[in-house]
Amino acid sequence: MKLFTPQKETWFYHVNPAFKFLLILIALLVTLFNRNFAFALHLLILYILSLVLWSGYSWRKLLLLLAPFILIFISTASTMILFGKGDVIWWTWGIIKISEESFFRGLLLSMKTVSFGVMGLLFVLTTKPLLFFYALMQQFHLPPKYGYSFIAAIRLLPTVWEEFHTRTNALKIRGVRYKAGIKGIYERIRLYAVPLLAQSIRRAQRIAVAMEAKQFHIGSSRTYYYATSYSRLDAVLLLIIVGLLLFAYTSAQYIPLFEWEPPIQQ
Amino acid sequence: MNVTQHSSDLSITNLRLKFAGESSFIFKDLSFSVPQGQKVLLLGPSGCGKSTLLQVLSGIIPASIEVPMKVDAIQKSDSWGFVFQDPDTQFCMPMVDEELAFVLENLSIPREQMEPGMTRVLEMVGLHLDELHVPIQSFSQGMKQRLALATVLLLNPEVLFLDEPSALLDPDGTIQIWKAIKNVASEKTVIIVEHKIEHVISFVDRVVLFNDQGAIIADHTPDFVFSNYKEKLIQYGIWYPDVWKDYSQSDTYLSIMNEKHLYSQSPSIPTLLRKQPPLLWLHQFAGYREKQRRIYVREAAVHTGEWIAITGENGAGKSTFLLSLMQLLQTDGTYVIEGHSIVQTHSRLKKHAPPSQLAFVFQNPEMQFVTDSVYDEIAFALQLDNQPQKEIDRIVKEMLLSFHLHVNEDRHPYQLSIGQKRRLSVASAIIQNQPILLLDEPTFGLDAKSTFAMLEQLEQLRADGVSILMITHDPNIIQYFCDQVWDIREGKLSSISKIQRAAEATTSIHDHNNEADRIERNILHCEAAAERST
Repeated sequence: MKLFTPQKETWFYHVNPAFKFLLILIALLVTLFNRNFAFALHLLILYILSLVLWSGYSWRKLLLLLAPFILIFISTASTMILFGKGDVIWWTWGIIKISEESFFRGLLLSMKTVSFGVMGLLFVLTTKPLLFFYALMQQFHLPPKYGYSFIAAIRLLPTVWEEFHTRTNALKIRGVRYKAGIKGIYERIRLYAVPLLAQSIRRAQRIAVAMEAKQFHIGSSRTYYYATSYSRLDAVLLLIIVGLLLFAYTSAQYIPLFEWEPPIQQ
Repeated sequence: MNVTQHSSDLSITNLRLKFAGESSFIFKDLSFSVPQGQKVLLLGPSGCGKSTLLQVLSGIIPASIEVPMKVDAIQKSDSWGFVFQDPDTQFCMPMVDEELAFVLENLSIPREQMEPGMTRVLEMVGLHLDELHVPIQSFSQGMKQRLALATVLLLNPEVLFLDEPSALLDPDGTIQIWKAIKNVASEKTVIIVEHKIEHVISFVDRVVLFNDQGAIIADHTPDFVFSNYKEKLIQYGIWYPDVWKDYSQSDTYLSIMNEKHLYSQSPSIPTLLRKQPPLLWLHQFAGYREKQRRIYVREAAVHTGEWIAITGENGAGKSTFLLSLMQLLQTDGTYVIEGHSIVQTHSRLKKHAPPSQLAFVFQNPEMQFVTDSVYDEIAFALQLDNQPQKEIDRIVKEMLLSFHLHVNEDRHPYQLSIGQKRRLSVASAIIQNQPILLLDEPTFGLDAKSTFAMLEQLEQLRADGVSILMITHDPNIIQYFCDQVWDIREGKLSSISKIQRAAEATTSIHDHNNEADRIERNILHCEAAAERST
């Protein structure tokens, strides 16, 4: 898994994971509810800039990891552009109708999608899942039963993946052939879901019993092996995120890179 | 509470317990007690409720698992630890130190005191680690079980419950875990459920034997129980110390070996059969995972009717070898079956067509079941071949009989016992009369009775002319059943050795009919092979 080792750990790695999650969530909510084209564009540029600066990963790796999002960008944008509603028609051909409104709305929507991808990637690349849940339990008072359940579930994922491969091999060896069309898809799902779910449920049940046997009780007080806390870095990040949002907003007002106003509805 | 009452004796009076949906009681008025410091071994057939009793005594039932139960009186300990059977489902954390810390966190131990505690318990179970922050996944199964014991020791328990802690371990791991247990538990009350008891009996003071109705039929010292209840131990499939010796002197085994011996000596076998070219031949054969060579075989051959054991440490490449033979991985080099070169083309890998001469049995039978009934499971490949229904019916009935699957044909494969599941997986794999059978630890985790049943079944197939390649860790199985051992080390087939069986039986009577039968079957098999190769 060399793909997921950063070149260097930036300061962003040492921000409290739960607090980092909250700030990124807020930034993304702003993106989600914004309808101004220039603001969205500026935000996206700043998000990409922070990913490059703070993730500690090289350009090439980031491009590789972002490749799926570029695909999503093209697909969401094109559907909206080709089939969206609008009055100022640029071009029509059969059911395809490109209008000014649909073109920009499509771009706006896909910029939002990619913003989520970029910030999500930034969070995932710079956060250890275990510490994230420890921080959620310590700073945000998430009940331990949920925190540890998630941690245990993450631990199970590689096993499930391995079993998926075993099952694939087993089905090949048994000579299973699928019917064409929807029926084939249903068959496939059934043939994978039954054994994988059966194993996973059994395993989850056993782990749960083992955890309780180790005196894990709901509601009792506990200490934490990894102590997470707030630090100066969290204040710095808070200021930076707020500054970033304000900067994107004001610059979109006064020096927009590209401006487009939806025509006023009558 | 006065002092006399506050003893750590465990006792239970008139326990009644029944699982939802089952018609009969697991326990009916069972009374049982264990004085402080005693080491008790619970024995009995699978499914007799021994593990359930452990869970009741510890309080897991009904605190964690809700099962309707009734007792007149029960005295439990406040301070107990529980080691479970499966090494892979006892941990909730990814790293060793984090798992140990999880227990310490539960006990509200301050963070600064955690690390000394961890090193202490790891030393106690014989895990000497330079670095505590290592993935649990990098451990062998045996090390995982010792880690499980270490986590339990952090609780400082007065009572240890051990539910088949070595059932899923190889011989080495089994020795290690029991050594660790003996080391740490001398002062504690220990209640053990285990089928592999060779390393346990010297440790326990008392053996309690259950029957399949969940009632106690013997409760005495180990010596007394082993000398007076041997029949029961055999009947219940318990791995008592001399089980292999006794089995090797049983009539079943002697007659199997006698036939095998006679067959190889018999002058009536056509010389053609003896001197035929190898069934499977490998030369500079390599298998790859993710472009990396993971198995290499310089030269090896399998002849008709040979039983080959594949041994090697975890991760040495045994499974990779079998998957390479099945052409499920990328391979190169020479690979010939029945005179036909198996050439790996891109389309073969894509089309997922393993060579038709091979049958494969997975370690976990559930992973290879594709239908909802025992009947369909066996009939599956035949139905794919569009054989007439009458013929399918006949073959399935025959298979069920010869594999001792005396269950309702409509039963879901998941509802069988583990031994039955394994036999069903072999039956359904070999249904097309493939000449070569590959198996990944077919006796793993089985009790003695099911193990012998499986081995006898495989020997039957072998005698009928099937060649067997089988991954196994058990030296006894190799000694008593296999013809060759292929040892795989660090991704290479490092040695091939023939097994010399000194005790090849010579005393019993030569059954001519039987032999004639066998030869005929073998010839039929060769004809089938010839047919396939044209």
